[in-house]
Amino acid sequence: MVTALGQRIIFSFSHVWGVLSLLAFALWAAVTPPIRVRETVQQLSFVIWGSAPVVLLSVSFAAAVTIMEASFHMKIVVQNDSLVPGFAALLILRELGVVVTALLVTSRVGAGYAAEVASMQVTEQIDALKMLGIHPVRYLLVPRLYASILGVMVLTVLANMVCIYVAMLVSQWSLGYSSGSFLMAMRAFVTFQDLVFSVIKAGFFGAVIPLFSLYFGLRCQAGAEGVGVATTNSVVATSVTIIMMDFVLSYIFSYFY
Amino acid sequence: MIRFEGVKKSFGTKEVLKGITFSIAKGEILFILGTSGTGKSVLLKNLVGLMRPTSGKIWINDQEVSSLTEQEYLAVRKKCGMVFQHPALFDSLSIFENVAFGLRRHWPNLSESEVESRVKECLNLVHLNGIETKLPQEISYGMQKRVSLARTLAVGPEILLFDEPTTGLDPITTNAVNQLILELSRRLQTTSIVVSHDMHCALDIADRIIVLDQGHIVEQGNVEHLKKSPHPLVRDFLEEALSAEGA
Repeated sequence: MVTALGQRIIFSFSHVWGVLSLLAFALWAAVTPPIRVRETVQQLSFVIWGSAPVVLLSVSFAAAVTIMEASFHMKIVVQNDSLVPGFAALLILRELGVVVTALLVTSRVGAGYAAEVASMQVTEQIDALKMLGIHPVRYLLVPRLYASILGVMVLTVLANMVCIYVAMLVSQWSLGYSSGSFLMAMRAFVTFQDLVFSVIKAGFFGAVIPLFSLYFGLRCQAGAEGVGVATTNSVVATSVTIIMMDFVLSYIFSYFY
Repeated sequence: MIRFEGVKKSFGTKEVLKGITFSIAKGEILFILGTSGTGKSVLLKNLVGLMRPTSGKIWINDQEVSSLTEQEYLAVRKKCGMVFQHPALFDSLSIFENVAFGLRRHWPNLSESEVESRVKECLNLVHLNGIETKLPQEISYGMQKRVSLARTLAVGPEILLFDEPTTGLDPITTNAVNQLILELSRRLQTTSIVVSHDMHCALDIADRIIVLDQGHIVEQGNVEHLKKSPHPLVRDFLEEALSAEGA
């Protein structure tokens, strides 16, 4: 059992090393020509237009639940929910908008990327790229990296705006606060810095998605099962990393408040 | 032109190639035969750097290639064209774009009309016309294999590698692809290595045949030599080929 555990730990570290090596290559490749602008724009469109309906719908409900649950518990504990709009806005901008967006993009775009690359690996398209003198990691990763970073940043800003608007509507209809008082409470709690930090977080989360997708896609074992395993591993690893990175980044940003 | 010297390849504890040594002359058609899982495709992939040998050396035109970096290998791969077991066409690109893909990469200064003319010429070589605008999934598997060959030919390789080019094809298309390999090798004077388990095809078009079994070369020579071989695996292959011919 100890041996199996040891092998598992070594295996996990080899994955960490593999992703870090891929990250180092991606950083170099992203700033050296050629940059495939057309492909990047196509991928950006896939990330934003394809994900926007799912992201905006989901974060709207998440915002509504957040404000209603917060009000319910505040009323029980302190018999007053006047701080709920401000707290809800703060929570939305700092955490909810960006994390939910990144996780949804992971499940839609990240899974798509991983399955696509894994299928290319299984059907020897990756080897065909190499034979035609093309570095497959550079060819596949760089446009997706740019698109995912920019896409998640844009989606996060949109998600934050929609979340705040839905929170305002819910607090008006359900809690009885006017739009004016919601905005006043929000201004007391939220600063422009919160929005900036959420966009920075979005950039980091956006970078993680194609990195893991490509990493697991390129290591896909033959067969349909291999594609499924690669996709699952990619989504799980990306989701866990996003949640861990959220903690680390929130901790770092806390020094700037 | 190509030389393997004591090439071994292992995956973990499993040794797939156990010291392979042979050479191929320019313009020769060499068939590598063997049952499934004997390391035929691994051998081919080691030649073009898609896999690296665990030990041993490989020479292409007097250049030792097995120790090259991935970047250095790009120049070597320009000399080689490989037709894979799967057609390996890029799904999102049309047939025209698939064939033009490597061409644009290898010769970025070609004008669009030159690219177009070369693509048509290569599709013509594999007897496919009028399908340029179609997507790979809109044509048959046999046609996809021939497009894959056209894409390989477009970059003008000196060495053509075929990894089971006729697997999954009907007998008529199989025959057409084999005749195509022969025709191209003779017309374009390319060196061809064909990995296969089809002795019938090998007897038809090979200049020389190597038989691989469990990571070792168990027999090699021209068609006449192979026909006289007492090795049981070679006899099995020959009987299979003769019965296919009789049928």
